[in-house]
Amino acid sequence: MQTAPAYTAVAARHTLQRPDPTPASAKPQKVSWSPDVRLYVQRAFEPDNAIPGIDLPMMQEKLKVVITQAAETGQLGGIDWSTYPLPQDLIKAERDQAAIYGVQNAILANINAPVRLPNEAAYPPGSATKKRKNGDVDMSDLEPREITPPWKKKDTKGALEDRITGKNKNKSKKEKKAEASRAYDLGASAEVLERRRQRFGFMTPEPSPFLSSRDDSPEAVPTGPLVGTCQKLEKSYFRLTAPPAPDTVRPLPVLEKALHHIRSKWRKEHNYNYACDQLKSLRQDLTVQHVQNELTVKVYEAHARIALEMKDLGEYNQCQTQLRALYKSNLGGQPEEFTAYRILYIIYTCNRADMNNVLADLTTADKQMPGVQHALKVRSALASGNYHKFFRLYNDTPFMGGYLLDMIIQRERIAAMASICRAYKPDVSLHFLAQELAFNDNASDDASDQDAGPRQCLDFLCQHGGEPFVERKDGGDVRFATGKAVALFEGAKAAAFRGIDIKGQI
Amino acid sequence: MSDQLDSLWADFATAHNEEDGYLLATTISPEPPKHDPARLYNWQRWTNAYSVQTDLRYKLQYNPVLKLDKQEASTWLEVFTAHYAFTGKLLAAEEAQNAGKSREADWSAVYEAWKEVLNALHRGYSRTDFAAWTIPCLYVVGKYLRVFAIKADANAASQRDSSVAFGELQEEEDPYGAASKNEKLEDAARQINRIFALCLSDRSETVLSRKWALYYTANLLFKTYFKLTSISLSKNILRSLAAAGTDIPPISQFPKAHQVTFKYYSGVLSFLEEDYAAAEGHLTEAYALCLSSAQRNIELVLMYLVPTMMLTRHRLPSRQMLSQSPVLEGLFLPITTAIRAADLHAFNAALEKEEEEFVKRRIYLTLERGRDIILRNLFRKVFLAGGFEAPKDGEPGPGARRTRIPVKEFAAALQMAGAEVGDGEGGVDVDEVECLIANSIYKNFMKGYIARDRGIVVLGKTNTFPGTGI
Repeated sequence: MQTAPAYTAVAARHTLQRPDPTPASAKPQKVSWSPDVRLYVQRAFEPDNAIPGIDLPMMQEKLKVVITQAAETGQLGGIDWSTYPLPQDLIKAERDQAAIYGVQNAILANINAPVRLPNEAAYPPGSATKKRKNGDVDMSDLEPREITPPWKKKDTKGALEDRITGKNKNKSKKEKKAEASRAYDLGASAEVLERRRQRFGFMTPEPSPFLSSRDDSPEAVPTGPLVGTCQKLEKSYFRLTAPPAPDTVRPLPVLEKALHHIRSKWRKEHNYNYACDQLKSLRQDLTVQHVQNELTVKVYEAHARIALEMKDLGEYNQCQTQLRALYKSNLGGQPEEFTAYRILYIIYTCNRADMNNVLADLTTADKQMPGVQHALKVRSALASGNYHKFFRLYNDTPFMGGYLLDMIIQRERIAAMASICRAYKPDVSLHFLAQELAFNDNASDDASDQDAGPRQCLDFLCQHGGEPFVERKDGGDVRFATGKAVALFEGAKAAAFRGIDIKGQI
Repeated sequence: MSDQLDSLWADFATAHNEEDGYLLATTISPEPPKHDPARLYNWQRWTNAYSVQTDLRYKLQYNPVLKLDKQEASTWLEVFTAHYAFTGKLLAAEEAQNAGKSREADWSAVYEAWKEVLNALHRGYSRTDFAAWTIPCLYVVGKYLRVFAIKADANAASQRDSSVAFGELQEEEDPYGAASKNEKLEDAARQINRIFALCLSDRSETVLSRKWALYYTANLLFKTYFKLTSISLSKNILRSLAAAGTDIPPISQFPKAHQVTFKYYSGVLSFLEEDYAAAEGHLTEAYALCLSSAQRNIELVLMYLVPTMMLTRHRLPSRQMLSQSPVLEGLFLPITTAIRAADLHAFNAALEKEEEEFVKRRIYLTLERGRDIILRNLFRKVFLAGGFEAPKDGEPGPGARRTRIPVKEFAAALQMAGAEVGDGEGGVDVDEVECLIANSIYKNFMKGYIARDRGIVVLGKTNTFPGTGI
């Protein structure tokens, strides 16, 4: 598309900065350069004119953009190149504006919540670490092309979680490969940018993507993702409604320290509200800076574990979703542990379709992992109704799977009771029930309290209306009249399996 | 030159005069008919893009043999113009393909061009220029839309991969670019949906209605959605058809081919939703209607029918049924043999061997339930092996079977069959055995109860194992 639609010809009006001639949709064209332009270029390159903090590649890119736009709009002859601000000056002015100027091109929904920005295809995960070199404010102009409108998300098929995580994790890997010989076409991005802006009908003064690759690596990163400058260790979580200012976002090293801090505080105080809040804000900082590395994995794993312990399934599910995508990028972490959790979680939510998908995704290597094997055995036992095996496995759950199983154990106990009532007549001993339904082993630490298990079992039975069927025989033996309690537990079972609620947080 | 194209126009005219929809469809098909293999080339060479309109108009409107009214003729003009452009692209792509430069074959362009043909046809129908007997054209257009979409997607995918290898700029970077690796297919789905809506909304009386294309289009949509794994969208189709209710003629009046495919997909959809009763109904009907020579279709239907029947009726396919196809035999024979022999070990092995295939088809979890049947057969054997009790006084013949069976006997049987009932120390975990028995009773495979204190299972005297005649 070569034509510049009329409504984009209006210059930006939002900042004090002198706008570029036009925010043009440009592709570099072959144009003959007038001597004025050449002089301008020369001046730009003169070492005297260099501004500290702006290095050569950046300036070059900026220069390219300036000239291209001028060429696009046919203003090559019109601009007075001798007085036109040099690229470095433009960059500097931009930066100064960065703090004040909130770029309005973000698709806000994409930045809200610690959800991975979909389609920030334009840069590799490692770039964030490279940005550490410069402490000062990098561009605030979040490269718009990274933020796509929700309807332009690439892979909208498949499970909801895929939509949330975005499929570009693999892309970023391909990116790294492509970088080496990639000749970044600035013009194309400007053009794309232009089209997007047109869709939303607003203008920005600087149409160009801000090239902030300070390093000389061949990766001509087309964009400068946000790099934070905040040094605070603790930060509360607030839902973002606009691109964040860099001084509220913590850079990587600070985030690492923050994670450590949160973890030790959790161990000491076990304050879930605090930990959850801090971790969400950590996740948010990682997301807006487009960081996807081992730290990200660690953060999500930490949050997932904590959420699991506190039975916050909504948060847990969010983290689990992200982790699934992150593991695909082979960033390390504990995939065995979390694959096992995932299977158990799906068992909990009775989601057959997902279970099918997970089973299809399991590799042979995965199935060798003991954690995963345990989860698969649990699934198999429950699928065939083998409650006996299930309760034995329950006692032996590796990692933190026990928390997940705790959530299904209630309904599984009821199901087991339904079976037992049908099959055993006329009654069974309470002791037997307590043992079968694994009431013994999560009893108190007091080993001498032999009756803790049976007592808990009795509580459980009475909870579901089994009181009338408990018979205390002579000799201290307590029995439960299974024959008569059939209907009771059948009803309870039906009720228990009716709906699974994860508190609305998919 | 136009003589070589005569067969096309002859067919077109004949089709119109005889209202032969299928013949008409062959005139716009991307594949030349058997009696005229060079048709597409001739078509392409007959005119050029500049004069295609005039030439066509001559053929369509001023043709004495053909009696089309003006509006209809002009619509056909559009169709054929689009078709002309399409043929050009198709031939180019095919040539590139044949020349071995398959990556350069621009199937995307072919797809887009074919879409134009579809659009022209769609306009024709929505303006009710075309009579209902022409709907086989819709079949053709829909069918090939899918085909081309798949080709285009495959091509795009291979291009993407190759460009990565060369370090080129990726298509995926462009946010406006290919949205997904099934972009064209998704688009095709939308287009076919348009046709579906078009057919559904036809208000003319049944005989002249476009509704006859409904099931074919629905089938196309099912195929597309399944390929895109957006199976939930298929439910919308079912819902729309159900909602149309009596407006559509009953399915039995549609061509058998449409019926079989439709019932197959309905069956699979019910299966995936675990509505096994409905699945059984649909799939059985599909199987009944299936031509015995359509081996692939039979395979597909049985692939889901076998697990369903296993679940709903606890019945296994006979050897004869499976012998219809080597694929089916390979998949199901080991399992059914294991179940009949009540050999848990073999069952597990069989399940594991074809696990990947089963999981892919989503029938793994259902087949697992075969274990229940094995256990039932096992217990039944124990019962039968228990022998008879002495006849009661005065009663003739052999007595009743022994109904009080020690749990230990069941345990022994389970051990021999390879069930995991060990207690980790070489003995048998009696509780586990009891649990398995309890489950059998609970699921109505066995009638009786466990008297734990006495360590025996008391089985019912009659119909002890429902469904098996014992």
